Amino acid sequence: MKKGALLFVVLLMLVASGVSVMTAQDAVTLQMWSRDSNQDFLRELVDMWNADHPNQIELTIIPAADFVTRVGVASAGGEAPDLLPIDLIYVPQFAQAGNLVEIGAFIDALPYADQLSASHVHLGEYDGGRYAVPFAAEGSVLLYNKGLFEAAGLDPEAPPTTWEGIYEAAKAITALGDDNYGFYFSGACAGCNAFTFLPLIWASGGDVLTEDGLSATVDTPEVRAALEFYKRMWDEGLIPPSAQADTGTDFFGAFTTGKIGMVGSGAFSIAILKNDHPDIDFGLTFLPGQEGGISSFAGGDSIAITSSSQHAAEAFEFISWVLSDEIQLQMFAARGQLPLRADLVDNEFSREDPRLITNAEAMNLGKTPYSFVYNQLFNDANGPWLAMIQTAIFQGDVDGAIANGQAGFAAILGE
Amino acid sequence: MSTVNLQISERRAQRAGGSIGRRSAGLFFVLPAVSFTVVFFILPLIFTVYMSLHDWPLLGDHKFIGLDNYSALLSDRQFWNSLWFTTRYTLLITPVIFILAFVLALLVSLPLPGVGIYRTVYFLPVVIGLGSSSLLWVWLLHDRVGVINAILTGLGVMDRPIIWLADSSYAMTAIIMSVVWKTVGFTMILLMTGMQAIPAELYEAAKVDGANYWARLRYIMMPLLRRTFALALILSVIGSYLGFDQFFIMTAGGPQNSTISVVYWIYKNSFTNFKLGYGASLSIVLLVILVILSVIQLRLLRDETSY
Repeated sequence: MKKGALLFVVLLMLVASGVSVMTAQDAVTLQMWSRDSNQDFLRELVDMWNADHPNQIELTIIPAADFVTRVGVASAGGEAPDLLPIDLIYVPQFAQAGNLVEIGAFIDALPYADQLSASHVHLGEYDGGRYAVPFAAEGSVLLYNKGLFEAAGLDPEAPPTTWEGIYEAAKAITALGDDNYGFYFSGACAGCNAFTFLPLIWASGGDVLTEDGLSATVDTPEVRAALEFYKRMWDEGLIPPSAQADTGTDFFGAFTTGKIGMVGSGAFSIAILKNDHPDIDFGLTFLPGQEGGISSFAGGDSIAITSSSQHAAEAFEFISWVLSDEIQLQMFAARGQLPLRADLVDNEFSREDPRLITNAEAMNLGKTPYSFVYNQLFNDANGPWLAMIQTAIFQGDVDGAIANGQAGFAAILGE
Repeated sequence: MSTVNLQISERRAQRAGGSIGRRSAGLFFVLPAVSFTVVFFILPLIFTVYMSLHDWPLLGDHKFIGLDNYSALLSDRQFWNSLWFTTRYTLLITPVIFILAFVLALLVSLPLPGVGIYRTVYFLPVVIGLGSSSLLWVWLLHDRVGVINAILTGLGVMDRPIIWLADSSYAMTAIIMSVVWKTVGFTMILLMTGMQAIPAELYEAAKVDGANYWARLRYIMMPLLRRTFALALILSVIGSYLGFDQFFIMTAGGPQNSTISVVYWIYKNSFTNFKLGYGASLSIVLLVILVILSVIQLRLLRDETSY
């Protein structure tokens, strides 16, 4: 009887260990949270992964406005998801707060590691470690209305390559009358102008932050020149008056009226214009510097693995799958998304619409400010960035705007 | 003598026991409401106070800093500017809502055919979210596609469209117009209900005594509406002090930071600057201010009348 009991216990232990061995080999379910922009594409991507991989991904979509808060609260409770695609500008802050896993070794193992979007990779670096890779790419460019260019006697195939060129084109288009304006920007939207106005400064060789993102360089000739360039177009009525109060609601909508000559925008506009506004013949070119040169704001999402995750290796399997040739071409490029690797910019799909190649090139040579206080500096509707733009352009006080901008940036950076 | 005493004290004990039973039954009945208040108000409030004593970033660890957030708040110029701006906004919008709602309530109380349709129409904007209505007004006020500019220029009131939200006084006017449109129906319904609760005999008696319409309005309706006024006033003042959506959506605090309400400033500190602890301390201060304001209003409008 005793023997029997012992045998039973041993058997039980064997079964239990077998179960635990099976569990270890068993597939895991990874949690992934994402903001709601681009959610259809993301769902499709995750479904595709789930269809032929044992490890499954459970995707939760969160409204963009709540996203950082939700992740912040979850991280504090150690309940953040395994996979976290986030707006790349937040990566330094998340890494600094200790919310992300260092994935340098994983990245080095990728055969195409050196082809990943440089700006995304740079924003993923913190204190000698690497914490994120690109997941969605977006780059700012200059959209222009070819129909209006032609009507104004300009060559629609030779878009402006300097500020003077933009100014002359804007003047010619505004002169058409009938409520046509040469240029547009959202005058009360902080983030929109980080996306479309900063590249003008970069392309001219200037910047508003030092390379390490810790000091302000607002009071420089390039920033002054860029503000004066916009101010001149505003003063001469080449920009519609409504631009002054636009908090971003009309950022892209203005161009779709067909009455705006040029506007800074991103790759997202290509698909919308082609699908919803086929009547607008539009071109796309680089945002230029004062005397030439080009730049772009490299935006989009990076993907990271959170410190809460118990499955970093499994999570990175998904990441490397996303970055593989097959997915980059058959999912990203085929659906009009910019590829996340420089070596795949020129592909069978983008060759059908060279505008996509221009946009991808812009993104790849673009920059992104590296800052732990990006939101306060650039996204705050009441912060120093927008105040500087508004004071210089709408109130005409360029000197005061720059002085306050420099002081405001320095105060936030704790200089 | 002693037996009498005993009987009395027994009866008292019974009565007391009975009232304890009734009290616990009462407690039982209010339990759902009490637990709701505890879970959704008292506990979050305690937690907010706790947070306000910490340096609490949205990302990363928090640490106890005592009353530092409160002392920082004293020298936060934008907070005081926002408080003053919100007070000005409240002082401007409250009378507009009240006068308009009172007139509308008088009109929709008239026994006229089709008056129900008007009641519904005036009340309709109340059921729209403030966020949606603010967005709606952004387009109504738009200089190129907005109907308001089109009407005003069409009537010859202005030569050219106004960019409403680009100028601070126009922006304030625009926000007030949108919020009045959105909320006046609610105050109207409150006042109308108050008016309908006044017994008709009082008016009849006054009529017999020779009081005309205005006298009846002044000496019967107005005093008897005191309680309703107090309720509507408190709701309106609190609502105005807590204003956020309209500023966030219509002006984003602009132009030149001239329309940053207190709650918008709390939001900005918490979710733009990621300083949750500081945001919590601002919320507590706003709560204290609102409690004081509500007590003052209740005192002023204290009503001893009964009918």
